[in-house]
Amino acid sequence: MAGNNGGPWGGGGNDGDDDDDRFRPNGNGDRNGGRRPNNDPQIPEFDEIINKTKDQLRVLIGGGDGRKSDGGGGAGGAGGPQITRGMVGLGALAAVAVWAFSSFYTVRPEQKSVELFLGASYAIGEPGLNFAPWPFVTAEVVNVTQEQTIEIGVGRGNAADAGLMLTGDENIVDIDFQVVWNITEPDRFLFNLADPETTIAAVAESSMREIIAQSELAPILNRDRGAIADGVAEQVQRTLDSYDSGVNIIRVNLQAVNPPSQVIAVEDLDGNTTQTSPLSAFRDVQDAEQERDRLQNLADAYANRVLAQARGDAARVLEQAEGYRARVVNEAQGEASRFLAVLGEYQLAPEVTRQRLYLETVEAVFGATDIILLDDNGQGGGGVVPYLPLDQVRRPTTDGGSN
Amino acid sequence: MNRSTYILPVIVIAVAAILSSIFIVDERQKALVLQFGQIVSVKEDPGIGFKIPLVQEVVFYDDRILALDVDPLEVTPLDDRRLIVDAFARYRITDVERFRQAVGTGGEETAARRLDSILRSETREVLGSVSSNDILSTDRAALMLRIRNAAISEANALGVTIIDVRLKRTDLPSENLNATFQRMVAERAREAEDERARGREAAQRIEAQADRTVVELVSEASREARIIEGEADALRNNIFAQAYGQDAEFFQFYRSLEAYGIAIGQGNARLVLSPDHEFFNYLRNENGTTTPDR
Repeated sequence: MAGNNGGPWGGGGNDGDDDDDRFRPNGNGDRNGGRRPNNDPQIPEFDEIINKTKDQLRVLIGGGDGRKSDGGGGAGGAGGPQITRGMVGLGALAAVAVWAFSSFYTVRPEQKSVELFLGASYAIGEPGLNFAPWPFVTAEVVNVTQEQTIEIGVGRGNAADAGLMLTGDENIVDIDFQVVWNITEPDRFLFNLADPETTIAAVAESSMREIIAQSELAPILNRDRGAIADGVAEQVQRTLDSYDSGVNIIRVNLQAVNPPSQVIAVEDLDGNTTQTSPLSAFRDVQDAEQERDRLQNLADAYANRVLAQARGDAARVLEQAEGYRARVVNEAQGEASRFLAVLGEYQLAPEVTRQRLYLETVEAVFGATDIILLDDNGQGGGGVVPYLPLDQVRRPTTDGGSN
Repeated sequence: MNRSTYILPVIVIAVAAILSSIFIVDERQKALVLQFGQIVSVKEDPGIGFKIPLVQEVVFYDDRILALDVDPLEVTPLDDRRLIVDAFARYRITDVERFRQAVGTGGEETAARRLDSILRSETREVLGSVSSNDILSTDRAALMLRIRNAAISEANALGVTIIDVRLKRTDLPSENLNATFQRMVAERAREAEDERARGREAAQRIEAQADRTVVELVSEASREARIIEGEADALRNNIFAQAYGQDAEFFQFYRSLEAYGIAIGQGNARLVLSPDHEFFNYLRNENGTTTPDR
């Protein structure tokens, strides 16, 4: 039978008072009677039950040992009816407790319940304590506010290409995404969809593939991600609404949007075969962009180095030239002014100065020089051939020079 | 005593009879009451129902929207490119009587198998009549609707209403997949190679420019230096000319003396002189006359 599902929990009643009254006649006064003074007719009955119970207890305690030996046959004996009545009372009490226990249930704040009266939906239970009198009413509790997540494209070991989708420009992209949803209308959710999780997953996958098929690879990988997630969420919501499913799509999270990572053998520019994947090829492009920057930076560094060196060299050459100019001009000026000074003095006493200058110079020259006086034109010494050993002439001068 | 021994079985039997003559149809279900296999009544609304115990039996069917995932199938669109298509359908058992007649005791599993084959053939037919570009891109929604509409009438014979048919995967077969991957890799390789080559190009350009600038800078500096040096030499000559020009004869004398001092006055020469040399004039006599008095 359909009525046996659901697990109601017991407690006191605060809801469904009408039902309470309707189903009371079978004597469930033990708990509710004390709380409700208007149920006067039931109080005597309650006392009666207490009394019966007392009687029964007395019988059990007082004559217990005496009857124990033939207790198995007691049903047919004289004391039989008395014991049976007491047992019935206890049993009824227990039955009532079990019934109450299975008729009350709590709904936590994030939940709602759907109550079915003989299988037909008739009420939505709000959070708190709820009453569903068994066996006529059954309740099903569902989490409504709690966000539930379905992952698509990941963790499915059966197919390696689970998340692979074809884009509009016939590329393939690997998409992992999550659908986050909750239940807005628990009755519709329970009664309209046989398998809500797989339905949401299938609808989401279908919508995602449809939208991916309409856009191109490059924007999918970067700037269109938000738009795609929104588009999928909207389309899934529309489809689920058409199923009257009572499901609300909160959002769609695109987790990984990558080129496929399947490894394939590819022949490269130089004719070598390498193992690579579209994903690593895409990463290689990023590497290449970095490398381009790196090469440019290295070249810039080289340029900076040699240019600075060249500027330094140029400055050095120029400064050297300026130094040369200063030196040459200063020397010339110095020498010229020395000459002019001497000239001035000379003009005051030309003969004497001239003689003095001459003698000073010759003195200095001769004083520092080995001199050989040779009277070559004297008649007295005729016949003397001057002998000049050139190698020995050299030697003393070099010796003298080194000393 | 005797009465009470009978009462208990009677109550039990009565309760059993009542329990087996009522049945509850859940919100999620529809029920058929069968009598020896014949359909006696249909209970579509939830609630309590009655039957004759032992003679009649109740069969329940799901009244919710049921899912059917069609296995991936290969279709060949008009342009002869093959595609792997994965469809799924949502359906509902609307006519339990016809449903029972159509699937017999097999129930929902048999229905799912029948629907699966219906959907497969309709999918093949519809997708075979368009080009692959239509399937892959924009017209998907319209195609899904066409498949649904085509399948609806056949499904009606099963007592089933198809609510929705959707295409999940429309992919290339694995051999084409590999070729597509190769193409994607090649495209990226082109881009990467372009980046690297442009990097090298830029580097060479920058370096060559730098080298040129170096040569320019250095040669410019050396030009400037030569100019400066020339100016300095000119100035030097000018200074000398102005100074020495005041008395050319004295300059000759003065500069010659200086030159002698530098040329032979450093102890690097040995002179062989005649005593007749002018320097020795007073060495010979006190008058300093050149003619010897012998």
